Amino acid sequence: MHKGGWEMNVIECKGLTKVYGKTKALNDISFTLTENKITGLIGRNGAGKTTLLKIISGYLKETSGEVKVFSESPFNNLKVSANLIFVNEEMSYPGSLNLGEILKAAATFYENLDMELAERLMNYFSLDLRQYHTSLSKGMRSTFNTIVGISSRCALTVYDEPTSGMDAGVRKDFYRALLKDYIAYPRTILLSSHLLNEVEDILEDILLIKSGEKYLHMAMGDLKEYAIALSGRSVSITKWAEERKVIFQKSLGAGSSYIVVKNDLSALEIEQARNEGIELMPVSADDLCVYLTNKTIGGIDDVFSRS
Amino acid sequence: MILNSDSMKPIYIQIAEWLETEIISENINPHQKIYSQYQLAEMFNINPATAAKGLNILADEKVLYKKRGLGMFVTDEAKETILSKRKNETLKTLVVDLVKEADYLNVSEIELIQMVKDASSCIKGDGK
Repeated sequence: MHKGGWEMNVIECKGLTKVYGKTKALNDISFTLTENKITGLIGRNGAGKTTLLKIISGYLKETSGEVKVFSESPFNNLKVSANLIFVNEEMSYPGSLNLGEILKAAATFYENLDMELAERLMNYFSLDLRQYHTSLSKGMRSTFNTIVGISSRCALTVYDEPTSGMDAGVRKDFYRALLKDYIAYPRTILLSSHLLNEVEDILEDILLIKSGEKYLHMAMGDLKEYAIALSGRSVSITKWAEERKVIFQKSLGAGSSYIVVKNDLSALEIEQARNEGIELMPVSADDLCVYLTNKTIGGIDDVFSRS
Repeated sequence: MILNSDSMKPIYIQIAEWLETEIISENINPHQKIYSQYQLAEMFNINPATAAKGLNILADEKVLYKKRGLGMFVTDEAKETILSKRKNETLKTLVVDLVKEADYLNVSEIELIQMVKDASSCIKGDGK
């Protein structure tokens, strides 16, 4: 993984829009993913994550705008198909083949597929090569799909909510297996999840979408320092809130408040806030993404507050 | 070491501090090769870019030096640099906080110094 110097763009989207009937699932999305990074695609239910991933993977055609994968349009494209694997819940395989036969068939298509790794993972996760995909439980099906995803070693590996249905232990093992294989065989990985805290440590970048639009695209490390929480007496907090954009606010009762603002406070302002008895706290990436994608800055509490 | 994802400290800082501790305790000595970003990524289950950020902080502070194509190595003055940094930054901040808290609680300077002495003899006493 030689960074530095020239980086190849694996995915390029310009003004990408997808319309289903009257709803805009994706609205004018533009971004670029460079080679050999793990990027997390984060968004709420219905934000357009799956639609975006399906367009990139060539399963759906965009309504307007441009999408390039390995510099080519992915829809009906053999070069893209041979270098990309899309792993999601709906993966369907011929019912007449058992898991071992599915892997063999996949190996004829994906030339980098590591059969030995696939079998070792199957064995570790207690999957039998003679089982049939349709006979597996939901969690086991997801596990098998992710094994195909890792061992195929495609230049672009796309996962849509790969861990749905898996138990906590399997999820952890899967992300560790993915990271280990990525370190050994660097490749571009795009991974959607609504459980950010589960994946944030292995991500290099994050792409956050909200209602079909790109909200932010930045390094994971920068996201963690993007916002700061202020907590203290409402009188002092209100003054701080007036001067800046509030990302989230919550009343803690008895005259106390908690607000989240952009982390652009100067050292002097931090000192000043502390002297006013305000507590400053980091905001986890997971919470921040929820706050940023809430419809209102009070979140669910706003539904119940009628004052 | 187990990384703390909820800490105020970013992961790459935690990595840098762990490496500093390894150097202070002489587990890794001058001119020895330090862990690569990939080894650290694997050890701590983090993205290699995050690990690289931790290594680069130490390179900027001249605790590590790069050998083209071979990786990063510990400098001659690494231990000294880390110790003086911890003393002048980390320890100083702790002392300021300590004095502030004592002031807040109306603890006199003499009383505070006595408390420091007691704590010190208690810790050193335990070691005997």
